[in-house]
Amino acid sequence: MKHLKSLNKKAQLINQAVSPEEVEDVVAMQTVVGCTATTDPGWELDPFGGLGSLCQPMESDLYGCADACWWPAQVPDTMHTYPDWGKDVAKANEDWRKLDGIFEDGE
Amino acid sequence: MAPTNKSTRRTLIGSGVLLLAGLASASVQADDAKQIIRDRCLACHTESGDASAPNFSRISEQRKTPEGWLFTINRMINLRGLQISDDEKREVVRYLADTQGLAPSEAAPFRYLLEQDTNLVEEGVDQALAETCARCHSAARFGLQRRTTEEWQLLVNFHMGQFPTTEFHSLARDRKWYEIAHDEVAVQLGEQYPLLTPAWDNWKQAVKSDLDGRWRVTGFVPGKGEYDAWMTTSKADGGRYNLSLEGQYADGSPLSGSGKATVYTGYEWRASITIDGVKMRQVMAADAKGMSMNGRMFLASEREIGGVMSALKDTKAPAVVAVMPSYLRKGESTALTIIGQNLDGDIDLGPGVKVEKVLERSDDRIHLMARATGDEGTQSVQVGAAELASGLAVYGELARVEVTPQNAVARIGGMSKMPKVRVAYRAVGYSAGADGKPGTEDDLRLGYMPAEWSIKPADEMAAEEKDAEFAGTIDAAGIFTPGDDGPNPKRKMMANNVGRLAVVASVKDAGEAVEGDGSLLVSVPDFVRRVLD
Ligand code: HEC
Ligand code: HEC
Repeated sequence: MKHLKSLNKKAQLINQAVSPEEVEDVVAMQTVVGCTATTDPGWELDPFGGLGSLCQPMESDLYGCADACWWPAQVPDTMHTYPDWGKDVAKANEDWRKLDGIFEDGE
Repeated sequence: MAPTNKSTRRTLIGSGVLLLAGLASASVQADDAKQIIRDRCLACHTESGDASAPNFSRISEQRKTPEGWLFTINRMINLRGLQISDDEKREVVRYLADTQGLAPSEAAPFRYLLEQDTNLVEEGVDQALAETCARCHSAARFGLQRRTTEEWQLLVNFHMGQFPTTEFHSLARDRKWYEIAHDEVAVQLGEQYPLLTPAWDNWKQAVKSDLDGRWRVTGFVPGKGEYDAWMTTSKADGGRYNLSLEGQYADGSPLSGSGKATVYTGYEWRASITIDGVKMRQVMAADAKGMSMNGRMFLASEREIGGVMSALKDTKAPAVVAVMPSYLRKGESTALTIIGQNLDGDIDLGPGVKVEKVLERSDDRIHLMARATGDEGTQSVQVGAAELASGLAVYGELARVEVTPQNAVARIGGMSKMPKVRVAYRAVGYSAGADGKPGTEDDLRLGYMPAEWSIKPADEMAAEEKDAEFAGTIDAAGIFTPGDDGPNPKRKMMANNVGRLAVVASVKDAGEAVEGDGSLLVSVPDFVRRVLD
C-alpha cells in the first residue's frame, strides 16, 4: 500500500498520471465493504487511495460515469439496469437534489 | 485507508435440552412454496424430475442465505419482470433458505455482511477472486453462496451481459477478462464453494431446535450504550415468533420493545422489533443446540448504526453472561455489574480481586464494588456454580486505545433524496501485557471504554483541503455525521463535502489521556443499496 502515502497534489486523472504497471499495483487496493475498488476512475477513492483524482463534485460528470456503468454496484447503471434513473435530473450539477437511490432491504 | 484488523466477535457457549421443530406445519409450508414457484417462476424457469422433489432450472443448483435469495428474487422483479406478492416472496425465500441454505459453518466467515456490519476491509480474499470479483462488491456476497461450477459460470455470463463495461476496467482490459472469469475463476469457485458439501448434508439432517423461551440478552446501541435485558420469544402463526425485550441501559434508563422474528435454515434469526418507538432489526445465528444466539441489532432505517447482541437461553441453570465494565484498574475501588441468570451463591472475581461491598443483588444482576490488588490478567468471574471465563480484565495501566471500526466509510447526504450514512464508533482499551510494550501480541484486551471523540484530517493533503472542516462532525457518543451532499461553493472546484479523516478517541485512565485513531473516508452517496452489498 505504499501508494497511499505518495499523494500527489497535482494528481491528474489516472490514465495520464501513472503508468499501467502502477495502476495494476494500486487498483488491487482493498476498500471498505460497499465501496468499489475500481478506481480508474474511482467512485469513492482514486488509485492513490485519495480523493484528488476523483470527479469532483461528483454531480458534474455523473451521467458520463453512470451511462458507462462503470460502478454498477454504487451508481445505477443506466445502460441496461436502470435506464430511467436520473430521468428527471437533466443536469446533475443543477438538479442534484432530485437524485434518488435504489434501495432494497431485508424485511 | 490502510486495512487493519477485523472486528472481533464474542461467542457464548450454552448447553441444554434439544427441542423438536414443528415438522408437520413445515412440510405444508414447503408444498405451498413449491406451488408458488410453479405459479410465479415457471413462466421463465423450467421444472423437471419428480414432483415431490422437483428440480427448478437455475434455482435448484444454488444455495444461499435468506438475504441472498431475497436479493435474487428482487432482481427477478426489477430486471426480469417477475410478478409476486410480498407474502409469496416471503414464503419462497423461506422455503429456499430452508432447503437450499448454508450450513452454520459455511456462513460463519461472512456473518458481517448478513449483520450489515460492513465498516471493515475484507481480509484473506484470494487474489484471483479479489481482482476478478471482489472489486465492485464484497467478497462475502459470493462467499455466502454455493453453486455448481456451471452455475458459477452462468453467474459470470449474467455479469458480462448486464455490465459489459466490466471488461474495460483496469484489471480487466489488460487481459481476457471473460475467459479468465468463466474458465478459471468460476471453476475455482466451483471447487471452493461447491453446491454439495458434507457441512450442508449434516446440517440438513440435524434436528433443529425451537428458539422460543426466555433469553438473557446483552448488547450495545449507539448513542444509548450497553444494555442488559430479557428477551421472551414465543411461536406465532406461520412459523414466526413473537418477541419482547425488556431491560436497561448501563445508565439505568429503561429499554422496552416488541416485534416479530423468522428463523431461517434452522438457525438464522431475523427479527424486526420496535424499541422505545425506534424500529430496529436483529440478525443473529443460533448455535446448534438453540441455546445461544449471537449477532447484531441495528436501526431498520440506517443499518450502519447498530451494535453487537448476544442472547443466552434461560434453562434454569445459573450463568454469568457479562461483567460491565469488563475491566478493573488495580488499586481502585470500582463499581461493577455482573449480568447473568439464576445467580445464587458466593461471588468470586478471581485471585487478588476483593469484593468490597455488594450494593444490590438479584438473581440476574449483581451490583458491587471491587478492588484488585493482584496481578494483571483476565479473571474468571464466578457466582455460585456459574462461571464466566475471562470475564474481567485486571490491569495496571491503559497503554493503547483502538478505535472500532478501524476503517469506515460515511456518505454525504440529506439535501437530495439520499440520506446521510453515519458511522458509530467505540473505543477498546488495552494494557501493554507482560512485555510492557503496547501493540504486541500479548497486549491485554480490557474491553470497550468511554472516550472523548474528535476528528482531524487524515494527512497533509486532507488538511490542505480542509476536510475536517467540511466533511462532518462527531458527537460525544462517538457517532459521526457526514456533511450535506451537493456541490459546495465554499470548496475548491465546488467539491462535495467529502474527505479523509482520522477519528480520534481519547480515553482517560487515572488522569492520563490515551489516544487511538481510526481511518474514516467521507464519500459520495452509494446510490445502489442491495440487501447484501
Ligand atoms: C420473467 C422471467 C423470469 C421469471 C418470472 C423468473 N425468473 Fe429467475 N431468471 C430469469 C432470467 C432471465 C435469469 C438469468 C439472468 C439473471 O441471472 O438475472 C434468471 C435467473 C435466476 C436465478 C439464477 C440467478 C443467479 O444469480 O445465477 C435464480 C436463482 C432465479 N432466476 C430464481 C427465480 C425465482 C425463484 C423465480 C420466481 C419466484 C424467478 N426466478 C422468476 C427470468 C425469470
Ligand atoms: C463490474 C462490477 C462487478 C464485478 C467485476 C463483479 N460483480 Fe458481481 N455483481 C455486480 C452487481 C452490480 C450485482 C448486482 C446485480 C443485481 O442488480 O441484482 C452483482 C451481483 C452479484 C451476485 C448476486 C447475484 C445473485 O442473484 O445471487 C453475486 C453472487 C456476484 N455478483 C458474484 C460475483 C462474482 C463471483 C464475480 C467474479 C466472477 C463478480 N460478481 C464480479 C457487479 C460486479
